[in-house]
Amino acid sequence: MELITDKRLTPGEVQEQVTSIPLARLGRRGLDPEEVRAFCARLEHELVLRDKEAASMQQDIQKLRMRVIQGPDEDTPATAFQPGETHIQVVSMLAKGQATVDRIVADAQAYSAEMAHDARRRKSEIIADARAHAALIVDEAHREASKAAAAVPAPSSPASPDELQTARAELVRLQTYIDVLLDHMQAFTETQMHMLDDWKRSRQVKLAEAGNSERGRAS
Amino acid sequence: MDAQRLKDSFAQVAKRGGNQVVLFFYADLFCRAPETRDMFPISMAAQRDRLLGALAQIVSNVDNVDALVPYLRRLGRDHRKFGTLAEHYGLVGVSLLTTLAHFAGDAWTDEVAADWKAAYALVAQVMMDAAEDDGESPPWWDGTVIGHERRSIDISVLRVAPLKYLPYAPGQSVAVESELCPRTWRLFSMANAPREDGTVDFHVRIIDGGALSGPLARKSRPGSRLRLGPPVGSLTLGTGSGRDILMVAGSTGLAPLKALIEQVAGLAAPRRVHLFFGAETPEALYDLPDLEKMAAQHEWLTLTHAVSGDPAHSPGYAGERGAIADVVSRHGPWQDRDAYVCGSTAMVQATAERLVSRGIPGSQVHIEDFGWGGGSTWS
Repeated sequence: MELITDKRLTPGEVQEQVTSIPLARLGRRGLDPEEVRAFCARLEHELVLRDKEAASMQQDIQKLRMRVIQGPDEDTPATAFQPGETHIQVVSMLAKGQATVDRIVADAQAYSAEMAHDARRRKSEIIADARAHAALIVDEAHREASKAAAAVPAPSSPASPDELQTARAELVRLQTYIDVLLDHMQAFTETQMHMLDDWKRSRQVKLAEAGNSERGRAS
Repeated sequence: MDAQRLKDSFAQVAKRGGNQVVLFFYADLFCRAPETRDMFPISMAAQRDRLLGALAQIVSNVDNVDALVPYLRRLGRDHRKFGTLAEHYGLVGVSLLTTLAHFAGDAWTDEVAADWKAAYALVAQVMMDAAEDDGESPPWWDGTVIGHERRSIDISVLRVAPLKYLPYAPGQSVAVESELCPRTWRLFSMANAPREDGTVDFHVRIIDGGALSGPLARKSRPGSRLRLGPPVGSLTLGTGSGRDILMVAGSTGLAPLKALIEQVAGLAAPRRVHLFFGAETPEALYDLPDLEKMAAQHEWLTLTHAVSGDPAHSPGYAGERGAIADVVSRHGPWQDRDAYVCGSTAMVQATAERLVSRGIPGSQVHIEDFGWGGGSTWS
């Protein structure tokens, strides 16, 4: 890099200069033209230096880049790129490994692609089938429903919650009535059985008394 | 540097080494600088194809500087988001030359080595210069998911808030990396014109077997972090032609076109736009409500949507039927329109070919192209 030794202008100096340039002499406006001209000259000089620096750095970058791309020596012999045996073995092994990985990944991808493709192809068929099937079932249900509706006499009117409750209460009352009736029948039957037993017993007593008197009259 | 000698050397190495060349190169790089392994995804298969493609492009254009330099500059800018540093260029150079020397065998002479060294130095220089010229803008944008809507079994719409403002042109894309799948980058289009608050929308469709799209569409939640690369792509609105516009979107190919529609809406004198939105199933027309609202709002916007799958599978669908190229073809004529086509590769090709066969000049058919040419029209 080209060495730049001139005394440099700093931002601080610019600031200082701008505030320190004396005002023009009495009767004239603005800053002292002489001082302004001198300062502009320094600024110009500074800009030229910076341009040179930038160009020189750009050249350095290019040189470094070429060194990175081509290696430090411009005239590398062809043999420099002939890899050694160990290097070839290592690289070949890595290449084989990579080829295996690629094959496995490709297999997996092909398999998933096939499955997805098949699923997509069958999806439309399955949906069409399902749609046809659903239509059949709905038709069948309609037919059954109409048949059932024709067979059953239509209810006079749908039951309201109140009517339902009344009906339920009536059912409970009837059940109780039946239970009571059954109890009565059981009691009545039992009474009749007792009466029958009594009647049988009295009949036997009367028959015995009658026999005794007959035997007495005959002797 | 002898261009022909370089090309011959590359052809010889490619012939002798085949797939092993790039495999060896990365293994050599990771041996020399293990820390660079972290810059790549677990599977290197896609990466190898990419490197081989780039190398082939560079070598075959090594004496065609006019085409090579813009490509390399894009590549250099693009590499900033991976965290590529100046010293990585040196490491890559050594590994590249070691690999070439290994496979070239006896053909590796001082002259050939010098050719490769000079060529690589040039490539690295152009890439590094481009990266440095780009230094004003960040190498990537960190962003946070602030909205996640699962629109169908395999399509989600994400709203992302970049931490710093991301400037882009409607129709452009960014590479996206997610913490859910590190080191895997995939391009997504911003689905909106730039907003005041800087948020962007992505329409993510799960690609069967795709490494990033699945986690992004299924597992993203508000708060998930993403990294976005610099905006790329030239599927943008030419201001010059003034022609009315035909847009053809295949499913999530809608994203960049929706951004363009929002841009047209902001014009003082909007050009007429007819948008065709097609997909295999009605569910894959994931953005219809919003599009219908836009069409109702703007008299210059016409919307036609179509489903290409088996009609038996979508009995209730009321839009048009058939492949989108056929549907577009039934309408028209379109000769006086600028066409913008986006979707799957097959859909774009079929549609662009059909439009050209129906009389639209290829130069008026705009498509996405992120490759070598970076061109944006069909021909």
